[in-house]
Amino acid sequence: MKIRNFSLLRPLGLLLVVACAMVACTSSSPPAAEPKFKVALLSPGPVSDAGWNALAYEGLLAIRDQLGAEVSQAETKTPAEFEEGFRDYARRGFALVFGHGFEFQEAAAAVSPDFPKTTFITTSGNTVRPNVAPLRFMLEEATYLQGILAAKMSKSGVAGAVGGMAIPSVESTFLAFEAGAKSVRPEFRTIRSYIGNWEDVGAAKEAAKAQVQQGADFLIHNADAAGLGVFQVAKSNGIFAFGTNKNQNDLAPEAVLASAVIDIPGAFVGVAKQVRDGTFHATITKLGMADGVVTFVLNPALASKIPQATRDQIEATRQAIVSKKTIVPSAEF
Amino acid sequence: MELELFTALCTAAVAMAVPLLFAGLGELLAEKSGVINIGLEGMILLGAFAAFAVAHATGSNAAGLAAALALGGVWGLGFAYFAVVRGANQIVVGTAVNLFATGLTGVLYRSIYGVTGTAMTIEPSPTIALPGARSIPILGQALLNQTPLTYVCLATIPLMALFLARTRAGLELKMVGENPNAAATHGINVARTRTSALVACGIFCAAGGAYLTLDYTHTFVEGMSSGRGFIALAIVIVGRRRPAGVLVAALLFGFVTALQFHFQALALGIPFQFFLVLPYVATLALLALNAGDTNAPAALGKN
Repeated sequence: MKIRNFSLLRPLGLLLVVACAMVACTSSSPPAAEPKFKVALLSPGPVSDAGWNALAYEGLLAIRDQLGAEVSQAETKTPAEFEEGFRDYARRGFALVFGHGFEFQEAAAAVSPDFPKTTFITTSGNTVRPNVAPLRFMLEEATYLQGILAAKMSKSGVAGAVGGMAIPSVESTFLAFEAGAKSVRPEFRTIRSYIGNWEDVGAAKEAAKAQVQQGADFLIHNADAAGLGVFQVAKSNGIFAFGTNKNQNDLAPEAVLASAVIDIPGAFVGVAKQVRDGTFHATITKLGMADGVVTFVLNPALASKIPQATRDQIEATRQAIVSKKTIVPSAEF
Repeated sequence: MELELFTALCTAAVAMAVPLLFAGLGELLAEKSGVINIGLEGMILLGAFAAFAVAHATGSNAAGLAAALALGGVWGLGFAYFAVVRGANQIVVGTAVNLFATGLTGVLYRSIYGVTGTAMTIEPSPTIALPGARSIPILGQALLNQTPLTYVCLATIPLMALFLARTRAGLELKMVGENPNAAATHGINVARTRTSALVACGIFCAAGGAYLTLDYTHTFVEGMSSGRGFIALAIVIVGRRRPAGVLVAALLFGFVTALQFHFQALALGIPFQFFLVLPYVATLALLALNAGDTNAPAALGKN
């Protein structure tokens, strides 16, 4: 019996290896370009989320196509996996590794002294080392405008915000939304709920339903793939929702009023160029509306539902943000 | 308003409980036959994906459900081949199923719908109001105005209890789980009985997955089973491996999950993490209250 068990481990082991390989890695080689500039991405969730992770993957592909780099991507969920992912890529000679989110900064800092030739970029955070730097997207500037829009159009004066995990970068977008809303309607309330992960569409749905039950008639999410559940609740209750990170207006054209959008591909290519050319300096880089990296995109199919005066006010505020006359509040991190 | 809130809570509880119930009932059969299947999570995910992909391609949710059930059965058969026929460690096989399902659904989803995802949606399965849905307060809405798959799930519970207690096949199944050698000397084919239980387990899990995509979320997201398979494992233990116990545990978990989102929405100023753990605390509490007889088959997990 024991011997049979042992022989069985081989097919099972193979199965495991295949499964792990399938989920973890997607590599692709560019046409011959020497010397090889290698760039990798660690994403906290599936890159098929049509949102935060999908954008990073598009950024990685843009680096491949525009700079002829060899690229690779892996999905990592836990702090131990973050660190192992960074180490693995650095050991294999990758010049640049992106950790996609606030949660990657500790792992990047821990690994960085061992691999001085590799640059580690986290797409949020405040940790800076000689070869570690955060790239911060000021999505808050666009969620601030969403807040104004919600406050102007809401009947109940209550909005619901559904987050994946309560990491500072997510909390900050909600904080700015709330500030925007209060700037035009001081008594406006925003209910925040978190589901504890980024994939449970059903949980996001229940969270949003509970908020609607409490009077919310606008919904905003920052829950990546799970955010789809929020759009469904908006749709079935005949209320509006806002898209986050990617232009999500077409995911539920009758419910998504506007999206706060980050041009991650453009930003990724910019950083990758600097690293390749040796001009990169480790510092906190903030990219927002003034840089054209963050935009506020109205859903053309629903734009007619917004009163002209409100649209004018949003445009005026947008220009004030771009010209730095209005400073959008964000969480300290 | 209070009544309305309670109705919403109960409706959400049933919706959250159905996938857990399906997977839990499948696990109950497998465990009664003496096999631990920790691959529920992967089987749910596969069922969810198959149901979604086929429903999306054909426009028929019934076709999606049929595909999911068929795949679930095949997957159960595969599990049985390794764990029963070849006598491999059941925990290892279950782990392999979970990892393989995560990889397979991810690769297939990306190759069919694009790597960065396009957020496909399908038509929700219709709900059918049974007589009394409007007239009975709270429970009428929660239990009698549901999708067909929900009714099937709820109807399975008494049927399974009857099957285990009153039918020859049910008694044979339990005998195999308690003492496979004695069962074999009575002319019961142990391998065949366990294989049948595992095929049924696969079908049940796939039904739970199909419910997630067809009836509940109308979309597919990688990893969307989000640990439901593991909760279902716990629910089987909390429910003392009895269909009615599994029902109570699943409904409790569903109810407290729905409740905690309502607590979060009340904005009481309490950290949300406190609410997120509530369903698990409630499940543990039920387990503690009900401590003692685990009702575990004597040969559970042994080859």
